[in-house]
Amino acid sequence: MSAVAPSTTSASGGAATSNNNNAQFNFFKMCIGRPVVVKLNNGVEYRGILEVVDGNMNIVMEQTEEYLNGQLKTKYGDCFLRGNNVLYISAQSKK
Amino acid sequence: MLFYSFYKTLVGKEITVELKNDLAITGYLQSVDQFLNIKLRDIRVEEEQKYPYMLSVKNCFIRGSVVRYVHLPADDVDVDTLQDHARLEAREQKKAQQQ
Amino acid sequence: MEKRDEGTIEEPLDLIRLSLDERIFVKMRQDRELRGKLHAYDQHLNMILSDVEETIRVVEKDEETDEEIVKSIKRKIKMLFVRGDGVILISPPLRSN
Repeated sequence: MSAVAPSTTSASGGAATSNNNNAQFNFFKMCIGRPVVVKLNNGVEYRGILEVVDGNMNIVMEQTEEYLNGQLKTKYGDCFLRGNNVLYISAQSKK
Repeated sequence: MLFYSFYKTLVGKEITVELKNDLAITGYLQSVDQFLNIKLRDIRVEEEQKYPYMLSVKNCFIRGSVVRYVHLPADDVDVDTLQDHARLEAREQKKAQQQ
Repeated sequence: MEKRDEGTIEEPLDLIRLSLDERIFVKMRQDRELRGKLHAYDQHLNMILSDVEETIRVVEKDEETDEEIVKSIKRKIKMLFVRGDGVILISPPLRSN
């Protein structure tokens, strides 16, 4: 389980505290800058580039597209998702 | 703490508290606590005919968690001070996180 | 090590901080949307917005045809406190990086 934290992110600033150092955060770190799909409890899906996540699963994404029942509804430049609504975050393979 | 302090500056002012069940109560802010529970006095309710049982209520205590919105008296809100406080609190929050 | 910059986003709430004094879009539960200028927020996403326009989407069912009619109700509020637990999404105006 010795997950590989990319050296680029662990070296950036003092924000990476020890309590963040677990599998969950390694997963998030790996996803940063990559396309992800975030599904919310209300069924809405957001596809975009993951910018940053915190311990409450608050998420900031860019170039975000909002999908309801597979249909594109809206686009946002930057968007903040409140963590309590998040059902899952799924990493997409690079296109 | 930011909003608790903010509400304390509004004590005595008239506000409208809109609840998650759509009931909107207007009254004078009597007090507030750290959970943003709110006490109102001399209240009235929008669409009274819809909520006749509210007619006899003059004062009330509203649990913070059932609030959706609070309509504020715009003239009594100093937005510049609010923004300064919000930035300050964000900085303090970050400091606390790092420790 | 570089000095931490107030203009960079290192945690999600930084995006909200950078949106202070800007008009933002807020998606709320129960098909409500707000547009207004952000003046204060906290870690729960409680917020104070001014010159708010709220759009509520309501679906009415036609009794005879069983057709669903989607209606948008709009209203304007001068100064509004929004409780954070109803917030789903916040989007600032387009930000130049």
